[in-house]
Amino acid sequence: MALILGIESSCDETAVAVIDGSAKTLADRIVAQRIASQDEAHRPYGGVVPEIAARAHADVIAPMVAATLADAGLTLDDMDAIAATAGPGLIGGVMVGLVTGKALAMASGKPLIGINHLEGHALSPRLADPTLAYPYCLLLVSGGHCQILEVIGLGQYRRLATTIDDALGEAFDKTAKVLGLGYPGGPAVERLAREGNPRAVPLPRPLVGSGEPHFSFAGLKSAVLRARDSGQYAPADLAASFQQAAIDCVIDRTRGALAACAPNMTALVVAGGVAANAALRGALEALAGEAGLPLVAPPVKLCTDNAAMIGWAGAERFATGQSDPLDLPARPRWPLDDSAAPVRGAGVKA
Amino acid sequence: MADAAPHDRRRLVIDSATESCSVALFEDGALIAGECLMLGRGHAEKLVPMIAALPDRGRAATILVNSGPGSFTGIRVGLAAARALALAWNATVRSYHSPDLIAAMARAQHGGPVAVDVVMTGGHGEWFVRPFDADGLALAPLASLSPDAALARLSAPLVAGSQAAACADARPGVTAMPLWPDARQAGLLPATALGDGAAPAYGRAPDARLPGGVLPA
Repeated sequence: MALILGIESSCDETAVAVIDGSAKTLADRIVAQRIASQDEAHRPYGGVVPEIAARAHADVIAPMVAATLADAGLTLDDMDAIAATAGPGLIGGVMVGLVTGKALAMASGKPLIGINHLEGHALSPRLADPTLAYPYCLLLVSGGHCQILEVIGLGQYRRLATTIDDALGEAFDKTAKVLGLGYPGGPAVERLAREGNPRAVPLPRPLVGSGEPHFSFAGLKSAVLRARDSGQYAPADLAASFQQAAIDCVIDRTRGALAACAPNMTALVVAGGVAANAALRGALEALAGEAGLPLVAPPVKLCTDNAAMIGWAGAERFATGQSDPLDLPARPRWPLDDSAAPVRGAGVKA
Repeated sequence: MADAAPHDRRRLVIDSATESCSVALFEDGALIAGECLMLGRGHAEKLVPMIAALPDRGRAATILVNSGPGSFTGIRVGLAAARALALAWNATVRSYHSPDLIAAMARAQHGGPVAVDVVMTGGHGEWFVRPFDADGLALAPLASLSPDAALARLSAPLVAGSQAAACADARPGVTAMPLWPDARQAGLLPATALGDGAAPAYGRAPDARLPGGVLPA
């Protein structure tokens, strides 16, 4: 049995989990998990405020470690390794979780494993589905990231597409702001979209049909703003039309990426917070069917930021004997595919 | 009755709140090991290895940590480490504030009782200011002020802290003692400067504004 303590603090959720890396089912693999959301603290600001996030992580993380271990009926001495997010993300929060992980590892004499938060998302489908084998085509869509990757193996990624401006989740959040739906905006847009007509508002599909493989959502978001200001459309129609346009873009880009993948992909996999969007999942299901692949999507609770995925990535790395030194730096930027060529406009989301 | 384990008689001190980064291990009140580096940045990388290099990896029954003020990130690095170590070792966490240690270090360096104004680098060009009487009693709450406002507050013959030299340049006649907190000097802290637990003392609200540029209440 390989028991891993996972710690996640890269954005606005503090999470701690105990993972059993040798268990065969999702239920048995997640021995315990606690997640503390900061939504209420950030809501008045309409988005995540890095300093507020970092302070909140520091306030709760140690008690959460203690409580999660208690939930599991285990102690720190029972753990085989400590896995903590080392980036990318809001650096103040990443440091809180990583230093906590380092101190726990040092004090207990256990190995430290620094995890790329994106790798946590990328491997979370393997946590949920023990039959999912490498290699697979991954669509990673969240508030901070939007990319398509060939997941060749543990630590082996080939980036096929990224965004040249906004991440998909960011586009949902900004649209929610335009429509006055509050924060966090993605689920609010999805709820309102159910009541609207997805063809009511003519909106652009940036880059659809172009030879460029990447994403762009900034123009779509601006078009929603202009459509709202025209006063011609109901909010529900705006939400539904935006969501449909965004999904059309994602499907077009993903179809192109699948064509560029090696022929031995085992599945089309979607992960990240926007993977919780039911309309997107439905469209991806159809696309995967076209390609003759299964669609693998982790449960919604594993799509948003969590520590189970960090613990799982730690378990996969621990199984190969990997660990990191105590002076491991926190990294605000950390692409999964270090060799990918820079893309115009792409920054942290690349 | 068996002798207590060494760590039962030990106190680990962690200070990463300012440009300096230091650790110290005391046994029965005597310093047995420690290190102080002037880092500026990089506390999150250095701190835990510095603790790991102490005897018995710094294990102690009590952990004393500088809870601020200083750099927001440095404060959190120290607190995160202290709280995690306390959890792992079932240790007690206590804390002190940067100005208290700087004032104590200044009195020791001066060689006797002396009133001290502590003036340290703050955020957004401001300075943290706190005055102490000759016996080490704080005379006013911590304030984060513009340099001009800070200079107007000076009343002691001795100014200590990271902005001491700047104060002496602006106020001839004041003696400057540039000092940064050093965990190895924690034995100089008066008992009244030690607090239970480790609540962060950021000294400034988060740099955040509500929509429309409004400052939060």
